[in-house]
Amino acid sequence: MPPTSPDDESRDVGRKGEADAYGALGLVISGVLVWGGVGYLLTEWLDNRLFVLVGLLVGMGAGLYLVWFRYGRQS
Amino acid sequence: MSDRTIAAEGTGFTPPGPSDFEPPPFFTVAGLDVDKPIVVVLLSALIVGAFFYAASRRIAAGNGMVPGKLQYAGESAYGFVRNSIGLDTIGKEGLRFVPFLATLFFFIAINNLFGIIPPFQLPGTSKIAIPLGLAVIVWAIYNYLGIKRAGFFGYFKNMMFPPGIPWPVYILLAPIELLSNFLVRPVTLCLRLTLNMFAGHLVLVLFVLGGEYLLLEYGGIVGILSGTVSILGSIVMTFFEAFIQLLQAYVFTLLAALYIGGALVDEH
Repeated sequence: MPPTSPDDESRDVGRKGEADAYGALGLVISGVLVWGGVGYLLTEWLDNRLFVLVGLLVGMGAGLYLVWFRYGRQS
Repeated sequence: MSDRTIAAEGTGFTPPGPSDFEPPPFFTVAGLDVDKPIVVVLLSALIVGAFFYAASRRIAAGNGMVPGKLQYAGESAYGFVRNSIGLDTIGKEGLRFVPFLATLFFFIAINNLFGIIPPFQLPGTSKIAIPLGLAVIVWAIYNYLGIKRAGFFGYFKNMMFPPGIPWPVYILLAPIELLSNFLVRPVTLCLRLTLNMFAGHLVLVLFVLGGEYLLLEYGGIVGILSGTVSILGSIVMTFFEAFIQLLQAYVFTLLAALYIGGALVDEH
């Protein structure tokens, strides 16, 4: 982002902040849904409840990693 | 309405529920029940269309250089969406989407505001079909733009494989990105609006009917005091709802603009 006047910058951050909040939420939800879902299917198939737990945790972790990757790094 | 009153007289207070969103139809045309939500949605479309048609009539005729009151109002309303949503979130390229975004914003805003306008007092957007239809339109537009820009495979490659991650991790992340962009986005767009309107309407109905019940049926010093508080609270909540209704219209349009803007640029 090119340097701008303080006013412009705070406005940009506000707008971007709103959007990023929804984007981050979507990523975490998706992570839990995808890998929790895979874990659930494995649980149904192999009859071992550990899979759904591992799936949920992996999904949450991957979602949070993506949040950091997309929004958290210093650019 | 009548079954609730009977229940309130007989066995106690019946709290508002999903049935409040299915009022009996006014009349039936060719098998289609015309009920309150349909009337509200049609009226909203008519109001938005008529307002902007009337406001821009003189510009179209070529003598809009000295704006009248109506034209000024129309220009301010349109300018708000143009500047604070179109330009701020998409940039110069966003200008060609401003007509769509402005229509979206005012259609949703008027639909929402019908939730507090007597005698309707039911937001059209509290029926899930309306936000769902709008979300599908937004979804189709940003996917179409993205595919047009990067090609079918390029679009999905950009979406699912952001550069700078070691490749084994993609197995973990790519499905998440796909789901987040393809499914979670439109679903949350739709649900956020629907449920905000749904819950807001329930809160208002509860304040008013609960207050009425406390005042008229429950009675006594407790009933009269708490009933009065509840009725006064409904007035406060009405103003609060007006704020939420405008805010939700803004959020829906802002996110639509962001998704469209995201499909137009490389960096994700």
